[in-house]
Amino acid sequence: MEIQSPVASITVEKLFEDNSEEASLQIINSKNGFNREIRERELNRPGLALSGFVELFTYWRIQIMGNTEVGYLNTLFEAERLQTIQRVLGFDLPCIIFTNSNKPPGEMIEIANRNDIPLLSTPLSTTALTHHLSEYLNAIFAPQLILHGSLVDVHGVGMLITGESAIGKSEMALDLIERGHQLVADDVVTITRAGRNRLEGAPSDLLMHHMEIRGLGIIDVRRMFGIRAIRGKKQIQIILHLERFNAIREYERTGMDEGWRDLLGVRIPMVVLPILPGKNLTVIAEGVALNHKLKQLGENAAKDFDDWLISRMKKDPPTRDDT
Amino acid sequence: MINRTVTIRNQLGIHARPAGQFVRIASQYKSFVYIGKNGKEVNGKSIMGVLMLAAGFGTELNLRVEGEDEEAAMAALVDLIENKKFDEE
Repeated sequence: MEIQSPVASITVEKLFEDNSEEASLQIINSKNGFNREIRERELNRPGLALSGFVELFTYWRIQIMGNTEVGYLNTLFEAERLQTIQRVLGFDLPCIIFTNSNKPPGEMIEIANRNDIPLLSTPLSTTALTHHLSEYLNAIFAPQLILHGSLVDVHGVGMLITGESAIGKSEMALDLIERGHQLVADDVVTITRAGRNRLEGAPSDLLMHHMEIRGLGIIDVRRMFGIRAIRGKKQIQIILHLERFNAIREYERTGMDEGWRDLLGVRIPMVVLPILPGKNLTVIAEGVALNHKLKQLGENAAKDFDDWLISRMKKDPPTRDDT
Repeated sequence: MINRTVTIRNQLGIHARPAGQFVRIASQYKSFVYIGKNGKEVNGKSIMGVLMLAAGFGTELNLRVEGEDEEAAMAALVDLIENKKFDEE
């Protein structure tokens, strides 16, 4: 049902193509070595490696050289500079990016060509490039999961609808769309851990906002309901799990005990909804979303009512049952 | 049909969690379950009904159970209120 699909690596070519526009990347030497792989989201500034300390050199990361590194190399005498560059570029570096449009010394281009190490340049400052690439690499290397379910934005709350096949997830999603809510993904939801406690859901590139409704076939929600009915991605804030009514299972009646499910290490509140004939599930789904919003604002109706009731019972002394 | 008078023995009385426990157990039986205080009687399978009684510590309640499994249902409900005290103090 669930497939974990973390991206293990990207090539320098992909890095270049995805960022050449936004970071105005330019190729200094050649595309030889564009098949080199980047396996980590972290970046490295090789200042200490240039100065000779290579014991803890994180050479497998993208190397960033700014004014400091280039300035340092320019202070060295020719022989020492050559030696330094040979030492650092002797490592299996994926690529080196020069910020502030810095130009590498001529020897470096020669050695990089010999070792097939791509040299790139950007007009951005080191800080700006670091922020930009961190965001990009975080998104690329974020833990990901593909889950069978539907994701709908209900009153601004990202609601993931789960449950076994044919339980009515898509039908509920369609009903919610009909009532003015927005479809993010149906059937296949790509879930990314976008932050320490933040999950983001999106449709697959291929399926987008198509959905299959039993008896109806494949429909295009965007075409059928218009642009207002869809959304590209949304944070997953609550799970609504549908299951066949089971007389033995105990369902939550008061809302005092909150269930949850762990997805990619993030705890998401979960409401289990038993399916019974004649129940208007869509209205319940909207209620779940609105109640979640209230709870986010610190208003827990079940708890507040309980507190009030307890204080009320303490105030009223027990009376004899005279029936 | 059987009737029993029970006394609430947990300090907080029948607030939300005990009401949930009561309704959950009552719903496990086929019999009709009614619970009353001062002549007001509510359906024992309805959360809001049970809460409406606002039955605090020391309150006496009248339990009325009617149906094929009334004996078992009554025994379970009395046990919950008087012996288990809703798993509270």
